[in-house]
Amino acid sequence: MPEPILSIRDLVVEFATEDGVVHAVDGVTYDVFPGETLGIVGESGSGKSVSQLAILGLIPQPPGRILRGEAEFEGKDLLKMSKKDLRRLRGGQVAMVFQDPMTSLNPVLKIGHQIAEAIQAHQDDVGDKAAKARTIALLELVGVPNPDRRYDQYPHEFSGGMRQRAMIAMAIANDPKLLIADEPTTALDVTIQAQILETLKTAQEESHAATILITHDLGLIAELADRVVVMYAGKVVELTDVQTLFAAPRHPYTVGLMDSLPRLTVDEEWLRPIPGQPPSLISRPPGCAFHPRCFLSQGRTRCRTEEPPLRVIGPDGHLSACHFAEELVGQSSKLIDEPVAGASS
Amino acid sequence: MVTYIVRRFLYSIPVLFAASVLIFFSVTVAGDPLATLKQNPLASKQTIHNIEKRNHLNDPITTQYAYWLKEAVTNKFGSPLLQPGTKIWDDLKRVIPHTLQLVVLAEVLALLVGISIGVYSAIRQYSIFDYAATTFSFLGFAMPVFWLALMLQILFTNIFIKWHVRIFYTSGLSSQNPGGGIHFWIDRLQHLAIPAMTLMLLSIAQYSRFMRASMLEVVNSDYVRTARAKGLPERKVTLKHALRNALIPVVTVSALNFGALIGGAVITESIFQLDGMGPYFLGALFNQDAYVVMAWLMVTATAVVAFNLIADVLYGYIDPRIRYD
Repeated sequence: MPEPILSIRDLVVEFATEDGVVHAVDGVTYDVFPGETLGIVGESGSGKSVSQLAILGLIPQPPGRILRGEAEFEGKDLLKMSKKDLRRLRGGQVAMVFQDPMTSLNPVLKIGHQIAEAIQAHQDDVGDKAAKARTIALLELVGVPNPDRRYDQYPHEFSGGMRQRAMIAMAIANDPKLLIADEPTTALDVTIQAQILETLKTAQEESHAATILITHDLGLIAELADRVVVMYAGKVVELTDVQTLFAAPRHPYTVGLMDSLPRLTVDEEWLRPIPGQPPSLISRPPGCAFHPRCFLSQGRTRCRTEEPPLRVIGPDGHLSACHFAEELVGQSSKLIDEPVAGASS
Repeated sequence: MVTYIVRRFLYSIPVLFAASVLIFFSVTVAGDPLATLKQNPLASKQTIHNIEKRNHLNDPITTQYAYWLKEAVTNKFGSPLLQPGTKIWDDLKRVIPHTLQLVVLAEVLALLVGISIGVYSAIRQYSIFDYAATTFSFLGFAMPVFWLALMLQILFTNIFIKWHVRIFYTSGLSSQNPGGGIHFWIDRLQHLAIPAMTLMLLSIAQYSRFMRASMLEVVNSDYVRTARAKGLPERKVTLKHALRNALIPVVTVSALNFGALIGGAVITESIFQLDGMGPYFLGALFNQDAYVVMAWLMVTATAVVAFNLIADVLYGYIDPRIRYD
């Protein structure tokens, strides 16, 4: 296997709030390899975005706090880097696309200026004219029509989809080696989502960047990801390649997620959601955080008392954090019956 | 942008018209403008009759208003009721620049200082500086203007008595022989410094609180995070991406402040014996000269409307979403 471009080891991020300490990210470990797309799935509040924001120094501190961990990007630990070096990296070698294009662009500055500014922040020798030319080329690449005219427009003159295209153009402006897309399609209409996916693919091809795709949409994962990290309550609960994940999930939470998707091929009257609520990150359930909602646990003591470690349970380093992962082999789940089909939401 | 300004300008004409109606009728219904004069045994019937006839005081109120409006528009408010030989505009022409000098000096400095304090407080929230600025601004809010004015007068008077150094003058607008050109303006600044400081303190307190609050709202917004995520230096993130968005509420407050202060920082101007709009208004009240009072109210209303217009134009400049064309 090649060297990972980003390797996160035992990352712990907390937030001090009035109600207590929120353990947003609790000992997360995974690698991202050059050129691949790593999907991170989980419910809201499972720590998927926070882990990325934290390694780039984008969480407000305080109340946020990185307790321990390493995040090596090309051999350098991002968490130990000086603020100045980290700033040079952000938007340069590591770029982000955010969830909500409606609020992620500055309303009082021109779109073109906001992109050109990203270019000039990292390439001192690029003059204003060159930056403008490059920006117009980028806007064209991500599918913004009439880029010459659009360059001088403000965000409120762009539709949601167009704004997200502009965000993507901004992200790939400096040919990043790692592109972090944080729920890039969540705030958009379904018809626009497909277009943005295409744009993201184009952007990936153009920049050859490794991509981290943060989402709660399993359809997006099936479409774009090579490997998948499933997170629950601030921890990684399953990590494997995308085919294995859909064909043979080995964590009851993953199975639950897939079961809760509607299927287009069968006439279903009811969806099957995972019972219960995601746990409070201030007081996690003891043992396995998922046990109160788990269909495998069924009151077994071990689930309540012993925290399951992330362990290899299948070929190609398939990891799962479940004491009873093996019991899922042959378990009936609508997606195990019929792998991958119906996985788009 | 030009059509936007023109449109806003046209809007202000009906506003000023409505203001003139309100001013005229509320001042006129307050009572007989000549009541005091009529009680004066030295005032002859003939004098009173002349005044009534000249200003159409015995006509119906709407007719009076029409005459007043005509006089105001064509003859710059005409003459005071009680001193027909003089012109209201001559007095206004003298006092308005004095007040403008004081207000512009005080408010421009207050904006610069207040915005800086507010921004710094917000980016260093809960630091010692932030707490100190908060305490200072509450003091500024709470302090009576007249008390501060008197304290500053005492302080600089004592400095003069003790060391014979004339840093600032404590009353009036000019020395007896200020000289010409640059000397005149230095002398004027020495006179305006303490009253300006007095006005500034309250405005700084206000602006720094507004700026801090709106900055705090903006620094945690998504687009500021985007600006950081693209690797801009922190200075640029704050001064370009955050500040411009955070300025909008402060523009509103300061425009209202400017407008209101043109009407005269009555207390401050009186304490420092500045020949400005405030003392002029007080004088008109004491003389019970309704026409001077109305002229003063009209000028003040115009100032408020004008500064609102300026605020609207500034909005359009700061926030492109507000431009209508």
